[in-house]
Amino acid sequence: MIVRTGLTGPFPRSEALVAATRDFDRGRAGPDAVEDLYSRTEAEVVALERRLGFDTVTGGYLRWADLFRPFAETWDGFTVGPLTRWFETNTFYRQPILHAPPARVPGAIAARLPPVLREDPPRGGVILPGPYTFAGLLENRSGETEEALVHRLGRLLAEEVKELVGTGFTTFQFTEPLLVDRPPERALAEAVVAAYASIHTAAGPVTTLVWTYGADAVPAFPLLDRLPVSAVGVDLAETDWEAIPATSERRGLGLGVVDPRTTLIEDATDVVRIVHALKERRRPNLLWLGPGGPLDLVPWEPATRKLHLLPAARQALDRTDGGRP
Amino acid sequence: MTGLFPAQEIGSLMKPRWQIQGQHGQPLDDTSRAEFRAANERTHFAEAAPAAASALLDGHAREAGADAIRDLGALFALRLFESAGLARVYDGEARRIEMYEYPIRQMHGFQFQGHVRSFDSKYYLKAAVTDEIRLERPYHVEEFDFVKRYARAEPKLPITGPYTLADWSYNEYYLGRRPGWKGPAARRAAQREFVVDLAKRAIRPTLSALIDRGCRVIQIDEPAAGTHPDEAALVVEGFNAATEGLDAEFSMHICYSEYRDLLPELLEAKRCRQWAWEFANRDRDGRDGYAVLKALAEYGDTRQVGLGVVDVHRDEVESAELVADRIRRAAKYLGDPARIWVNPDCGLRTRRLDIATQKLEATVAGAAIARAEFERPNA
Repeated sequence: MIVRTGLTGPFPRSEALVAATRDFDRGRAGPDAVEDLYSRTEAEVVALERRLGFDTVTGGYLRWADLFRPFAETWDGFTVGPLTRWFETNTFYRQPILHAPPARVPGAIAARLPPVLREDPPRGGVILPGPYTFAGLLENRSGETEEALVHRLGRLLAEEVKELVGTGFTTFQFTEPLLVDRPPERALAEAVVAAYASIHTAAGPVTTLVWTYGADAVPAFPLLDRLPVSAVGVDLAETDWEAIPATSERRGLGLGVVDPRTTLIEDATDVVRIVHALKERRRPNLLWLGPGGPLDLVPWEPATRKLHLLPAARQALDRTDGGRP
Repeated sequence: MTGLFPAQEIGSLMKPRWQIQGQHGQPLDDTSRAEFRAANERTHFAEAAPAAASALLDGHAREAGADAIRDLGALFALRLFESAGLARVYDGEARRIEMYEYPIRQMHGFQFQGHVRSFDSKYYLKAAVTDEIRLERPYHVEEFDFVKRYARAEPKLPITGPYTLADWSYNEYYLGRRPGWKGPAARRAAQREFVVDLAKRAIRPTLSALIDRGCRVIQIDEPAAGTHPDEAALVVEGFNAATEGLDAEFSMHICYSEYRDLLPELLEAKRCRQWAWEFANRDRDGRDGYAVLKALAEYGDTRQVGLGVVDVHRDEVESAELVADRIRRAAKYLGDPARIWVNPDCGLRTRRLDIATQKLEATVAGAAIARAEFERPNA
């Protein structure tokens, strides 16, 4: 079993960056000062990710206003809509409004990736919205059915992945909280599988993760186990892990072991215990440990403290029979 | 009392520019001075504090002192509400920065952790409960004393509820006491302990102190209630624990939520006499924002409703006729016009003061139209 660690969503902005972006909003700072601080803070996040031995670096996606904004602002067919609550959190996103069948603009998303990722693409973690969550959370005025839209977004994201693989990126995460919040059924579930099949074909041998969070993933496992990806991640603070079903097929498993809803620091021995139990039941060929959801639900300082769980858990697994081969 | 459809304040107002400049010890610029004078000509709010007003207008903000200028800000809001025709008023939360940080700072057991992004470049400061909660001293008491002293209409105090304070905090203390992995069951149990402790140890003693000072009408704000619909019973448990054994006219303010998802659990809030909810925001694009009131009728709930009749997130000022139409629909769905109070959806602090004033005036004017129809149906 290969064990990997890394961020699975945005990292919080530092207090200095909070102050700078506020000042910019209020007209008390110019764009150059904010840009400079973004760059320096991204470099700090990368340094932290490297120090903690993460297998991917992300730079924290500090400039992304929300998971969809780069797409809603650059792809054809979209406008940026009203503030909308992000699941059961006190954070909000601007709901994309889709007026016509969407079309991607080549190079647009690559240009919005954290600049630090472009310095070392093979180590960069590309975090994108999953097609089901994207389709389900936008306001669809395009006339397409949700199934058709999931299908189409899957194809467009596949093209995105293909373009980014061509520039050297090798790890892609598709963020899919809606898969567990509102598991799709019947035709919609088939559309999700088909969307990921498109992505799988385009991605080739790179690592692909589907990361879920915010609700118990157990009811969604029959579908999650059908997705042709390297690993599926679940939020352990929300999931009844003892009820995760066994599987005879060796698949990758992601465990969200850092709970972004509390500043309390998790215990590595608990993680090891859970991994051992799940190893018996799932025999994962890849284990990805990361935050259970967007870590920017906690401020910079506690987020940094909490992340130390990941190397601690990895070392503890290495000391037992759960570590690297 | 004005008869049917009395109007009430519901939350904060934007602080006038002169108050902010004055509190920072800055001399007023010409714009602020003109705004102060125009408001004073309209409501004579500064008559109760002439020395502070003179010092502020004469460029001596620092000598006047931040506290005296806050008093002026509170008087300004009080008179603004009263001149608009509201039957229940407060001070526009002129002394409060926001509804979370201030109450938390009055309690032992919390540590602020830093800022969390709400959206775009908007942030809020968030604390963790790290120890047993203990109220340092009841809060909002001096604030209420001031309002009581100067209000000509009936005072109505808003206070953040225990569920919202807990939901907007990190739970370290109660979660940390539970052994092993902190899964969904442990988190639910720890959150329940947190909410109930906040209610019993901090909110209830504060409410009790306020009631002892003569506070009769209290709005408990629970904007977080809609965040986790499956925790509606916990919202209620917190409300009931906070108000246990207390005698006042309590209401519960919730906004931007799917109210049906909170029913019927919410109806177990024993001492809640009024639901003060937002409706106008959702009453557009052909949608009837008031139809959700049918749910209260379906459950046989007969409490008062604080009816949000103007949208606080748009500058467009509703016509009095639109407000009256909203009241008519609400009365039809509730089956009893006598249960309706009218108010903005939520606090008007996001709107310019001139817009906020016009929206309050539209609220009162719309209520007058509807009142005339209901009280003299054949006239």
